[in-house]
Amino acid sequence: MNLLFEIGTEELPAAYIPQATYNLKRMAAERLKKARLDFDGIETFSTPRRLTLIVKGLPPSSTRVEEERRGPPASAAFQDGQPTPAATGFARKAGVNVEDLEIKNNYVWARIIHEGEATSKLLPPLLAGLVRDLPAPKKMFWGAGDGPFVRPVRWLVARLGNEETLPVEVFNVIAGKTTRGHRFLAPGELEVNANNYASSLHEAYIVADPGQRRERIIFEAGTLAMSEGLEVVMPEDLIEEVTYLVEWPVAIMGSFSHRYLELPDEVLATVMIQHQRFFPVRTPGERLTNRFIGISGHQPSDLSVVRAGYEQVLEGRIYDAYFFWTEDLKTPLSEHHKRLTGINFHRGLGTMADKAARVRSAALKLASLPPLNSKPSPDKEVLREAAALFKADLPTQMVYEFPELEGIMARAYGEKQGLDIRVAQALEDAVRPLGHEAPLPRGPEGALLAAADRSDTLLGFFHLGKKPSGSADPYGLRRAAAGFVRILGAKGWPIPVKDVIGASADAYRSWGLEIEEGDIGEVHKFIDERVESLLTEAGLPTLAVRASQKSPSIYGKMLRARLIHELMQRPEFAELTRLYKRAANLASQSRRILEPDPRLFDTEEERLLFEALPSARRAVGELLEQGARLLPPWDPAQPPPETNLDPLADVLAQILALANALDPFMDRVLVMVEDEEIRENRLALLREVRDALGELGALELLSA
Amino acid sequence: MLFQDLILKLHEYWGRYGCVITEPYDTEVGAGTFYPTTFLKALGPEPWKTAYVAPSRRPQDGRYGENPYRFQYYFQYQVILKPSPADVQDLYLDSLRAIGIAVEDHDVRFVEDNWESPTLGAWGLGWEVWLDGMEITQFTYFQQVGGIDVNPISVELTYGLERIALYLQNKRHTYDVEYAPGVTIGEIRREFELEHCEYNFKYVDAEKVRRWFDDYEEEARRLLELKLIHPAYEFVLKASHAFNLLDARGVLGHAERQAYVQRVRRLAEATARVYLKKHHPEVAK
Repeated sequence: MNLLFEIGTEELPAAYIPQATYNLKRMAAERLKKARLDFDGIETFSTPRRLTLIVKGLPPSSTRVEEERRGPPASAAFQDGQPTPAATGFARKAGVNVEDLEIKNNYVWARIIHEGEATSKLLPPLLAGLVRDLPAPKKMFWGAGDGPFVRPVRWLVARLGNEETLPVEVFNVIAGKTTRGHRFLAPGELEVNANNYASSLHEAYIVADPGQRRERIIFEAGTLAMSEGLEVVMPEDLIEEVTYLVEWPVAIMGSFSHRYLELPDEVLATVMIQHQRFFPVRTPGERLTNRFIGISGHQPSDLSVVRAGYEQVLEGRIYDAYFFWTEDLKTPLSEHHKRLTGINFHRGLGTMADKAARVRSAALKLASLPPLNSKPSPDKEVLREAAALFKADLPTQMVYEFPELEGIMARAYGEKQGLDIRVAQALEDAVRPLGHEAPLPRGPEGALLAAADRSDTLLGFFHLGKKPSGSADPYGLRRAAAGFVRILGAKGWPIPVKDVIGASADAYRSWGLEIEEGDIGEVHKFIDERVESLLTEAGLPTLAVRASQKSPSIYGKMLRARLIHELMQRPEFAELTRLYKRAANLASQSRRILEPDPRLFDTEEERLLFEALPSARRAVGELLEQGARLLPPWDPAQPPPETNLDPLADVLAQILALANALDPFMDRVLVMVEDEEIRENRLALLREVRDALGELGALELLSA
Repeated sequence: MLFQDLILKLHEYWGRYGCVITEPYDTEVGAGTFYPTTFLKALGPEPWKTAYVAPSRRPQDGRYGENPYRFQYYFQYQVILKPSPADVQDLYLDSLRAIGIAVEDHDVRFVEDNWESPTLGAWGLGWEVWLDGMEITQFTYFQQVGGIDVNPISVELTYGLERIALYLQNKRHTYDVEYAPGVTIGEIRREFELEHCEYNFKYVDAEKVRRWFDDYEEEARRLLELKLIHPAYEFVLKASHAFNLLDARGVLGHAERQAYVQRVRRLAEATARVYLKKHHPEVAK
């Protein structure tokens, strides 16, 4: 038998529907199993007005099972052949007669038979429970206090097989056999069951399967745009949202005034997508055109009425943005920048003007440090100009209305007002990345500002004692730290993380806030944790990542983690790390810092190791050098580049070959001898081993 | 349909349904929700149905009349049904038919919108109703009012009258909407809007308005002590408007703004508590 269960509601929030159907299916499967109702499979359907389960292949009744339940020890249950209270109590609880208790292995046992129960009797409370227990981020009550559910439940359909309607009741709604068709195209009720559900609804202008609605939206929008030789821009998030906003999707293309194309594409797209849920349209691969595609949830006989409505509304919205654009442009960015004094950053950390000044001084300081001379090296002049305008778009009307356009507006206004294009781009880059996977700064100047901004935020909030605890992170500090790691990692500068935080600390100090070394240490640790979690999430083995953390710069860690991963795939590496760990342990007992003196060697093993060292040391250096060439900096939130690392085979072999010299030494040479001179000389040899390989990372962590 | 006829039609429709048609309140409010006939009446167990025009002021939203949709002064049409009836969506759609919107010809959609008024300590769940992509109504099931969980649940329908009229009359700008025969909204409101925008954005004397706020707050507290709930609530509304003026004038930093919101909210919540205690001691905690 097949079951149809539909929860009919007032319009559900679009973002909620996918998780609701997922949970509904999961909970139904769990509870059916618990009720011993087998089934072949569960299908789900959903629209803004319904959440539906179809359970296939239910039996007429639940499975009959026999249970053997163990009771008290036989000695306690019977005395002189008579049942004690322990026995009668157990029998009563188990629901059997005392005479029927059995004795096995010195214990009393009850054989309990759970008879199968009629499916139609088990289902109603089970289904009502699903409605009551379906989780949601925010539930509501309605009417005289019915609920809670995400939105009011208005009807239920519960049908078993083709004929039977189950008496499910929840929130004062009683299930029936009829559902509702499209609000306008097929008003009224229609009878459905599990076998004709989707097809009956389709006749009533409801596409019950979200996958089908989605395909229809993509196909219709694409076809419409193509009919004019254009391309529709379809962000995944918007497709998903619109799929759950309509029951019967119909694409409609409209246009807006040509003059608004003066606005940057990002502004037009934001207005269309965020405010109207319209898809922008562009000439193939190029700029947006003055077209858009809206997805109507209804198909009236004359689409031109809806189109005219869409156009009028969008025109008004874009007008608003255009108004901000022209107003904001009347003032140079440098003037907008002055108004940062009126926007607070955070109590105790000053205004946004204070923050901008700190970020500026930290970024300029960093740019003057030697590691920043390595490519991509920031242009000092561009950086100076961009730093002076950092956050200048924050006080503009456009960014006030559309906060997601921060950075983009600085670039657009800057370009329009004649800023050097590199400065304008740096201003856009300086807010990146805006999310986990969001694009990173392109140029080095913006990257430096963006990193200094995040370091300023982290240090400030840590200083105030507001570091994230558990899952709570109200100030977005984890996101800030992850951004910091991605920015610096992808640029590959060999600058120690500590120096970047240090530059922010200095900026705070000259602003008048005494940052302590402890704050710096905590932020450093917090950032290291982000590096570890980003790299492991991107697929590098945890041990390789841990071992690589010795390197002070982020790219240094990334590169080493990837190279260690490569070594880990060679069988000889395990042996080398084992030997290395012992060697490094011993080396730490060395009391003097000496170079090993070959004249003091008195075993062949010492000489062999000594002679093997230069080549190993050279090989490690070459590995890092060639590795950096093969694996140029990448976004640490992404898996490392899939470069062919075969060219490294030789150097890797040379490193691994050190084991051939180290093994006999560790095996046969007694290091901790009485004679101090010999002992220290041997320890010095091991220290050389440790230092040579240690350049790669904390290899001792890799030994089991 | 003339703007004034739109109002009359809604009065007729909701009056016939059983709503008490009340007249606009005479203190500045940011929205119809602030009316005592909504804010106070949503508290407590007794049923209540009302509909009224709520002239609303949002100093921050003024655009000197240049934007066709955004104004610092506009009319909301407010309906409160307590408890919310099971067929409220259909009732609402019928009200659109009553004002001449053939809903069958349009793309009418209920798009999630979780309403919250931080200054009133109120929130609810519901939708914006979109007519061909234009938001024409805010549709909310109140869950909490004045910081108090409500039961039974009131549903609030807030129609944006100007937007609907734009649509019905197929006009581009609110000022072009015909209010009465031969008289447009522009003729009635253009100067009012322009002068208030000038005032709100440029000439609000921040020092003075801050003082007013302090006085209103103090007065509201004093009157609440005396259990004079309605006069007290009027001063809460005045404080709220003073805050809106300061906000529009752009003199509030983020933290200070939050502090003002909290102050109004505390007043609104105190009012709700005193009201409930007086009228429904059995449910007041």
